[in-house]
Amino acid sequence: MIEYKDMGIPKVLNKKNRVLLRELTKTDFKLRYQGSVLGYLWALLRPLMMFAILYIVFAKLLRLGNDIPHYPVYLLTGTVLWSFFTECTSQGIQAMLARGDLIRKISFPKYIVVVSTTFTALINLAINLGVVVIFALINGVQPSLSWLMVPVFIFELYALSLGIAFLLGAINVKYRDVMSIWDVCIQALFYAVPIIYPVTMVANSSMLAAKIILLNPIAQAIQDVRYSLITTEATTTWNFFNNPIVMAIPIVIVVIILIVGSIYFRRKSKFFAEEI
Amino acid sequence: MRREIGKRILINSPENENAIEVHNLHKSFRLPTERSWGLKQAIFNRLRGIKGYKDQKVLKGLNFTVKQGEFLGIVGRNGSGKSTLLKILAGIYYPEKDSTIIVNGNLVPFIELGVGFNPELTGRENVYLNGALLGFSNKEMDEMYDDIWKFAELEKFQDQKLKNYSSGMLVRLAFSIAIRAKGDILVLDEVLAVGDAAFQQKCNNYFASLKEKKQTIILVTHSMENVRRFCDRAIMIEDGKIAAEGDPSEVAEKYMSLFK
Repeated sequence: MIEYKDMGIPKVLNKKNRVLLRELTKTDFKLRYQGSVLGYLWALLRPLMMFAILYIVFAKLLRLGNDIPHYPVYLLTGTVLWSFFTECTSQGIQAMLARGDLIRKISFPKYIVVVSTTFTALINLAINLGVVVIFALINGVQPSLSWLMVPVFIFELYALSLGIAFLLGAINVKYRDVMSIWDVCIQALFYAVPIIYPVTMVANSSMLAAKIILLNPIAQAIQDVRYSLITTEATTTWNFFNNPIVMAIPIVIVVIILIVGSIYFRRKSKFFAEEI
Repeated sequence: MRREIGKRILINSPENENAIEVHNLHKSFRLPTERSWGLKQAIFNRLRGIKGYKDQKVLKGLNFTVKQGEFLGIVGRNGSGKSTLLKILAGIYYPEKDSTIIVNGNLVPFIELGVGFNPELTGRENVYLNGALLGFSNKEMDEMYDDIWKFAELEKFQDQKLKNYSSGMLVRLAFSIAIRAKGDILVLDEVLAVGDAAFQQKCNNYFASLKEKKQTIILVTHSMENVRRFCDRAIMIEDGKIAAEGDPSEVAEKYMSLFK
């Protein structure tokens, strides 16, 4: 029996690739907190500390979000999801360079390297969401069926992060400037996404700005998680536009970025071993 | 700029007597000519119509076959293109357009020992990681775990971090994992040159046992002693072309004469 296989088409997650993916994810997770006294606790402490800073500055000093119920948990949810997005993309973009030794020495589907780092970010997110839920319950948020929608929006955010990591990661192999550019983009995006401020505040001064903000898939996903998890007072793309066609825009953006990213990555990955 | 690539065809037909066929294999690398290698330079070059790289031809049309059960030695000076050839066979680099490679069966390459070894992890963790990179499932690793440490004679150090190992210990552990790999074709790059005399003996025994089992092997080496001892046939590569092919002693002789 003759079996032809084109090496350009990796058998997506066959058994061998699954084992590799799991081992690389485990290694990644272990290494990230290696040598620190508090170890894995940092996965929890980082977003909590960021939350504490934002809470003191924006909720207490600047008095933002007074009209949103459960504002502290609302803020925490936003920061946790934002950390996930930045971790996923930054680590994903650098993954190829970080694992250059493997890419130069063995033949395996390169996307495993990127996916394993994003899995590490997913594990961190799961831990952090546990904290969010505990905080929410303490804060008096009533558990409801809408909580079941949360994984859907997280999946959307993950798909977006993965698409960005594939696209920019592939370019970053050759042009290392990409990482620096992305760092600046992240800074800018942080303010373009309603994490610390309520969308209604923007809408009061400029309706157009609020609309643009809510078409960003990151903002849409975060607001939807807040809506389903914390409070129906959260402004979502859906209840702001109330138009199914407009609602589709952020989702289309995610799908396009993921498809373009994957195709570009697959095409470029053939030469990673030579270029790294 | 899209680069066209050649074919690397994987088949699985035991009745075919060839394990590997290489037809008209060419490979060149793009070496950047500019000192800085970034986005600015790339845009600058594009605007001025400069390529920004030069093509370095490494392999210039190789043709050879490896029969099933054959122990083939590949020799050549540093920079002759041996390692590039191995990496193409292993599927790490892509061959250039018009080249064809047919690999019949499961090919397991050892370009370097201990790929993915991480100094911050313990010996145990590294064994499992390295095993996964070689394509073993966790169940298979569990089964051979004790044997690996026994062969490496390092049982006491299992839970030490790898950064506390000596370089000799590292190589022994890596080799001990590597030899578990089962493939139809093994591709080895210089892995014989490891460890002290006693460990060398073990390695040589391992190679002798492979030869006895009629395992298909491609070995790249600088040791003419090993070429004469193990190989059924040898190929010498010089400047990206096959300069000699055939009887191992004769090829070894020609190789030695390069340095006179």
